[in-house]
Amino acid sequence: MSDGEHIRGEKLELLAAGALPEPEAAAIQAHVCDCADCGTNLAEARGIAALLGFAVKQDRAAGTVKAELMARIRANRESDERNAWPRKVLHEPEAMPRESKAGISWWTWALSAAALVLAVVSIGLSWQNRRIAGELTKERQAAERMVQDREQIEKYVGVLAAPDTITVKLSGTGETKKMSGTVKFNAKVGMVLYAADLPKLPAHKSYQMWLVPTDGAPISVGLLGPGGRAWGNMWTGDVPANTAAKGFVVTVEAVGGVAEPTGPEVLQGSE
Amino acid sequence: MTPHGTTGETTTDWSLLARIGRKDEEALSALYDRYGGLVFSETKRILHDTGAAEEILQDLFFQVWRMPEKFDPAKGSLAGWLLVSARNRAISKLRRSNGASEELDEKGVAFHVNVESHAAQNLIADKVRAVMTNLPENQREALECAYFGGMTHSEIADKTGEPLVAVKTGICSAMEALKRVVR
Repeated sequence: MSDGEHIRGEKLELLAAGALPEPEAAAIQAHVCDCADCGTNLAEARGIAALLGFAVKQDRAAGTVKAELMARIRANRESDERNAWPRKVLHEPEAMPRESKAGISWWTWALSAAALVLAVVSIGLSWQNRRIAGELTKERQAAERMVQDREQIEKYVGVLAAPDTITVKLSGTGETKKMSGTVKFNAKVGMVLYAADLPKLPAHKSYQMWLVPTDGAPISVGLLGPGGRAWGNMWTGDVPANTAAKGFVVTVEAVGGVAEPTGPEVLQGSE
Repeated sequence: MTPHGTTGETTTDWSLLARIGRKDEEALSALYDRYGGLVFSETKRILHDTGAAEEILQDLFFQVWRMPEKFDPAKGSLAGWLLVSARNRAISKLRRSNGASEELDEKGVAFHVNVESHAAQNLIADKVRAVMTNLPENQREALECAYFGGMTHSEIADKTGEPLVAVKTGICSAMEALKRVVR
């Protein structure tokens, strides 16, 4: 491998050309580290091999490569400058004589003030973030409510327009003979929409709508008034889907409604 | 070279490196314009992969930006170092190694040709191509397989069917022929 103590020129040329297998290349490089002459000869051989780079057909990298490189070095430079600044500030006081304490103090105060301003700004931004987040949550909830309302309205309109929705006219009896009401009922979806012209009740009383099924006990549809579900001038309620209705009744019950009709009937109607 | 670090109209590598040492971005930009094409072309020739070649190109110049003081024109050559380092990195990538390539000492390439202008580069390119064209086919192929293909002499012998000793001799003869370019 070597000529006396030195590596033969041919070996160095083969290494520079990249033709030596890894173990042999590593052995030569280890020798070169400690041998200035061989180091010089290897550098010469590498210089010759480097000429091959000129034999290649010249091409250019995309312009973005240089732009990225320049951005990278700019970021690196800014990072270095940021890192260098505090070190200087921290090291200076140790090197400065006691007479220069006023200077240190000035910087300390300036930095403290800057830190305080930053802290206040941070708190302010944090508070603003929370406020904006809260507003966003409210807006989101409002939007969700609007979507739900729209879906409900579409459902009501769908029921009202459905060909299998029936209309039941309600009328009063006895003392309530002049009162009237209307029920729109779709058995398939179990939805009832109703309206009635009824006098105001005492605060402890409520009107309650009932569906009278063809079989079984009356089913509460809902209240007309406080506690009921209003949709414009109408009230709405749900009953089990595919319930066959024989008729509808409105009774006067305790406020909030009851499980089964107990009060006087003020309106009734049948299909 | 003049005292202001220029050769004729061209700023020397040494002058640019000194400015890079003072974090002058324009100096790195000028150095990139000077050698970026050479480095990229060589790396692409080895890898046949534009993206990978661009990655090596950017990393090498970033290294120059980080450590310009390591390049001493009196002891080595920036152009030579860039070309050989780019070649080593590309070969390392070609062999799908873990990315660790031979870390070339900044003084490890003695490149005795001034290629600080594109005109000078074109002149050298013409000379190198002329030498390569005039080489016997087996010598040229062996040298290119080693330098651009990352093949060892044994692998080249297997590929070409030439005896191992002929491959070694051929590579050395081709290197000797290249020396004429710098004489």
